[in-house]
Amino acid sequence: MAARHLIIGGGTAGMNAIRTIREEESEKSSITLVSAERPYSRMVLPYYLDRSIAESHVFTATARVLADWGVTAHLGKRVTALDTAANTCTLDDGTAIPYDDCLIATGSSAVRAPVPGADLPGVHSFWTLDEARGVIAQIQPGSHVVMVGAGFIAFTILNSILSLGAKLTIVEIAPRILPRMIDDTGAALVQTWLKDHGVTVRTGAKVARIEDAKGKKRLKFASGDLTCDVVIMATGIKTNLEWLKGSAVKVNQGIVVDDYLRSSVPNVYAGGDVAEGRDLISQKPAVHAIEPTAQEHGRVVGANMAGKNVRYRGSLIINIVEVCHLDVASFGAWDDAGAEAASGVKADRPAYRKLLWRGDRLTGAIILGRSGDIWTVNDVGMLKGLVQSGVSLGRWKEYLKKNPFDVKPAFIASKTTSTLLPETVLGRPSKAPGETPVAV
Amino acid sequence: MSVLRLHPQKCTGCLRCELACSYMQTGEFQPAKSVIRVSPFEGHTSYAPYTCTQCAEGWCMTACPVGAITINAVGAKDVLDDKCVGCKLCTIACPYGTMFYDPGTRKAFKCNLCGGAPACAEACPTAAITYEDVATADWLGDFAVERTARVLAEAR
Amino acid sequence: MTPATLTAPKQLKTTSTATTRPGGYAGNLLRVDLTRRTCRAEPWGPEMMRELLGGVGLGAMILYRETAAKGGKGNVSWDHPDNRLVLATGPLAGLPVWGTGGLTVCTIGAGTNGPTSTQANGFFGTNLKYCGYDAIMVQGQSKDWVYLYINDDVVELRDARSLVGLDTWETQGALYKETGLAGHQLSVYSIGPAGENLVRFAAIQGDYGHVASKNGCGAVMGKKRLKAVAIVKGTKSLRAADPRGVVQAAEEIAHDLRTDASARSLYEYGTLPGVVNLSKMGALPIKNYTTNLTSNVAGADMSVWEAPKLRENFDHRGHQCNACGMHHCHMSVIRHGDQKGKIVDEPEYEGWSGCGWAIGAADRDGVAWLNTQCDRACVDVNEWGWLCGWVMECQEKGYITKEQLGFELKWGDVKGSNRLLQMVSRREGFGNILAEGVKRAAEKLGGPAKECAIYIEKGATPRGHDHRSRWEEMLDTCTSSTATMETGNPVHPTEIGQPARINPFDGEQVAKYVAGLRGRRSFEDSLGICIFTSRTRLEYICRALSAATGWAFTVDDALRFGKRTAAINRATALRCGHTGAMEYPSTRYGSTPVDGPAKGQAIRAQWEKMLDTWYAEVGFDRKTGKPLPKTLKELGLEWLARDLWGKKA
Repeated sequence: MAARHLIIGGGTAGMNAIRTIREEESEKSSITLVSAERPYSRMVLPYYLDRSIAESHVFTATARVLADWGVTAHLGKRVTALDTAANTCTLDDGTAIPYDDCLIATGSSAVRAPVPGADLPGVHSFWTLDEARGVIAQIQPGSHVVMVGAGFIAFTILNSILSLGAKLTIVEIAPRILPRMIDDTGAALVQTWLKDHGVTVRTGAKVARIEDAKGKKRLKFASGDLTCDVVIMATGIKTNLEWLKGSAVKVNQGIVVDDYLRSSVPNVYAGGDVAEGRDLISQKPAVHAIEPTAQEHGRVVGANMAGKNVRYRGSLIINIVEVCHLDVASFGAWDDAGAEAASGVKADRPAYRKLLWRGDRLTGAIILGRSGDIWTVNDVGMLKGLVQSGVSLGRWKEYLKKNPFDVKPAFIASKTTSTLLPETVLGRPSKAPGETPVAV
Repeated sequence: MSVLRLHPQKCTGCLRCELACSYMQTGEFQPAKSVIRVSPFEGHTSYAPYTCTQCAEGWCMTACPVGAITINAVGAKDVLDDKCVGCKLCTIACPYGTMFYDPGTRKAFKCNLCGGAPACAEACPTAAITYEDVATADWLGDFAVERTARVLAEAR
Repeated sequence: MTPATLTAPKQLKTTSTATTRPGGYAGNLLRVDLTRRTCRAEPWGPEMMRELLGGVGLGAMILYRETAAKGGKGNVSWDHPDNRLVLATGPLAGLPVWGTGGLTVCTIGAGTNGPTSTQANGFFGTNLKYCGYDAIMVQGQSKDWVYLYINDDVVELRDARSLVGLDTWETQGALYKETGLAGHQLSVYSIGPAGENLVRFAAIQGDYGHVASKNGCGAVMGKKRLKAVAIVKGTKSLRAADPRGVVQAAEEIAHDLRTDASARSLYEYGTLPGVVNLSKMGALPIKNYTTNLTSNVAGADMSVWEAPKLRENFDHRGHQCNACGMHHCHMSVIRHGDQKGKIVDEPEYEGWSGCGWAIGAADRDGVAWLNTQCDRACVDVNEWGWLCGWVMECQEKGYITKEQLGFELKWGDVKGSNRLLQMVSRREGFGNILAEGVKRAAEKLGGPAKECAIYIEKGATPRGHDHRSRWEEMLDTCTSSTATMETGNPVHPTEIGQPARINPFDGEQVAKYVAGLRGRRSFEDSLGICIFTSRTRLEYICRALSAATGWAFTVDDALRFGKRTAAINRATALRCGHTGAMEYPSTRYGSTPVDGPAKGQAIRAQWEKMLDTWYAEVGFDRKTGKPLPKTLKELGLEWLARDLWGKKA
């Protein structure tokens, strides 16, 4: 009998797993997808919000495509229980689905800060497509939007809000913005940049409560209230794992997985935001709630479900946001207090680099520069390449410490390209998205 | 497949490839939009062009959340403009620094080997860029090691 | 120090010019006032572009319009705040035609105290155009040392106090470091100590080895306390009316340069073959014009001076200008001798002559090193040859004593020459007198020393040849309004109705030839292209220009344009007090070779006749030096005729 694969979650990890199964398998298997939402890409929601793409653009697989791939899809359904002894999962409508192996890739959800009034109508999260629809309906040119939270998620939609002609105020409880993406120096540059671009940022500001105020919303602080049209709470996310309670699958910060992305139950895999897998730099288990990790996890799981034995080398934290045409990116262990570090600032451009080493390997980097800026773009990728490849920089380390803006010669002369060229996630050249075999 | 083979010892740093590339890709002369970039070595005595290796993994392609990067008829990873939303994930996924983003069009762009007739190779007056049916390789590594020795020694 | 800010042109204005702007142009002129510390973009329109093109065409007009002395006759002098320093590109700069990084410097220069047009290449023009500007017009004087930083719309005068005292290569290195850029991402044109100290023949050097060398333009920059211009490779685009046509014209030009017999050696070896070739004509200047025999230089073995041998003596590496396929500019690493391991710019022919033969030096490694020392100090290598050679001869003959100079300087001593160079560029001791240039130093010393000095009475010095066997060049140099050859060598002369060859020692033929070739060089120098890559048929250049701009530009248009530009420069020169009496070579410059291939050919005997003929042919008035009203009217310069001749016009 053909293998029965169960994919729980239709996000990036799940969809990549499905495609990879079809690419890798030698014999056609059965694939079942259970997903609370139609498969779409969360990464592109900001572009839906700013209306540069239609809603139809966000979907990563239509019913037709799923059919082509031979996927039995249970959309709009949630899994309520996983019986790893019986190899069966149960859906919220009572359906029981037996499987030979399964992938748990249920992702995360937005959480709102515990502020009185945070659940009022007109107070939004921006995480799912449904939530995006709610926000897009509310923002008009001239609207005053208050974003509570100044983390990565908030910043991904900052440009969209501004391009809709809205006035934006960012409120952050911490003393600085982007706490989990860049360091203090970088954050200060971004904050200045935002101010120069007409965005008000209030750091160290704790929202006491949110109230209705004649069709508007009022945010109460210890001092200085804000009245606005729309409130977006971007105060954090949590993994969607409550339903797994009581199962045999071991959960720490996320589902603990080995280098083949198997959980404590060998035929149960986990990927994406819910997986606690190897971090490429620290080599320790970590939860990376980022798109590239979900994609790599999904592909590795897909290959392994298809009978391959792909060992995953670990995932690298990479983040980029654009803030009013300023690119802000960080790689790897950029906040490693125990690393050797060097940095350089060109406040006028503005441009900022911070490089971190363990031994003579670059283990983390922060880079700020103008979007499309001809010398920043190359370096963004090259810094990623240096961190990813872990090449020995030898004497280039000292050079980069003195010349943090001159990455290219260090990258090339360290033969980083030689190290990187044989590297593939699945041990073979990748296939183009359109090349997934049709399974009908 | 054929790839761009770089012969750094022949490069004189004239940047004609950048002009040709930008013209082919955008219809105007604007080297800032070129996807081949000439870099200096040993201060200012040596130069080498640098561009996409068309690597096997295709980090840009696998990273794209909307499947906007594909493999074109000549085997090059290529951006589909109508699908690209401009999220820049590919620019941080590519470990070679050869994915670019145009704030004007809000699209990513990269070397697509001009569909099989690379303008840079044609424009290079010293044949420092050739289009050949060979395996892609690290064309610049050894050259860069030699042509940076002095800079490194001085930086000590 | 707060950075001056750029006032952007009104949005409406740029939009309207953008739609009608001829291709090839960035569309703005950048006006920098060092006194007021302002930088302002001035849009310029299609009519002005068609009339002035760029380069010397634009620069000549700016000098004429803006450097007249206020409230009276005459012109402002080179060191006056109202003097302009025009750093201009042209419509082909930044396009894929070979050698289009071009910079033309126009200013009232310190050498002649008259107008200048002097060129350099590299990436100045490219980077500037991609930032959105066709030219920079600098005026005023800064109180403190500044440098001009240009990065697209960010244009700032920045504090340069920490750069003072650095040579030009060190300055570029410091600015790389400061901006975090490398290679051609940042084009830097700067002055070294010689410019800072107002040496009369200080040059402006850029991008490691490219020099706008003539007429002390570096001293003008120094007087303005502008240490450097640093231009980031901009991100704006250049349009061409017919881009495919530009590429095709570029290919045609390239093919011609690669294959045409007259350009091929230049294509392969740049100007290196000049040394041996000119020595065979007696045009290689040797030991301050005291001889024309290479055998009179100690250690000279001409077989190693053949171009391939000369190049291979060094670890040489291509270092071309924008979009150029010539095997011309190189960087070299010295392989032997005291300076082993040093990186230098491969000398041009003029470097080999100025830092070599003219001072009796035949040690190739030493000469190459000294040549770069000149570039780094920002000293015109030609005038250096005449100055240093003169000092060497004067010491040999006892006209300048060891005590006066402070040390002994013998023929061929490149290290001694460098010592002198450092004294001159810092105006130390006797160097202070020499820093005034050959003519002024010779006049100061007077007597027999003066008789040995090579200069033109206007205050300039010749290019690096022995013009006593290149009479066209001596006549061109002396009659020029721009302090150096204004007409240049014949390039495909039959294309413009001139003979392929003339008798080089027949004064009349020479004068007619120089007059007949007039116009081409001024046209080339208005395009933002290198004169070596325009050593092709004028028709091809016009084709490239037409494809770029969308104009139907003909060879006739080109010559007419060039003559018009030269006439405008002549008008400025007259206003600066240049007279016909200054159009004479110094005693030594106009002397008769005593040996070699041109032995006995006496130009001075024919000089008056040559001037008469030249004046008649170009349509200038021999008495006043002014272009005749008829000449000006034929060139469409009625307004200039009125300016120069008043009602008589």
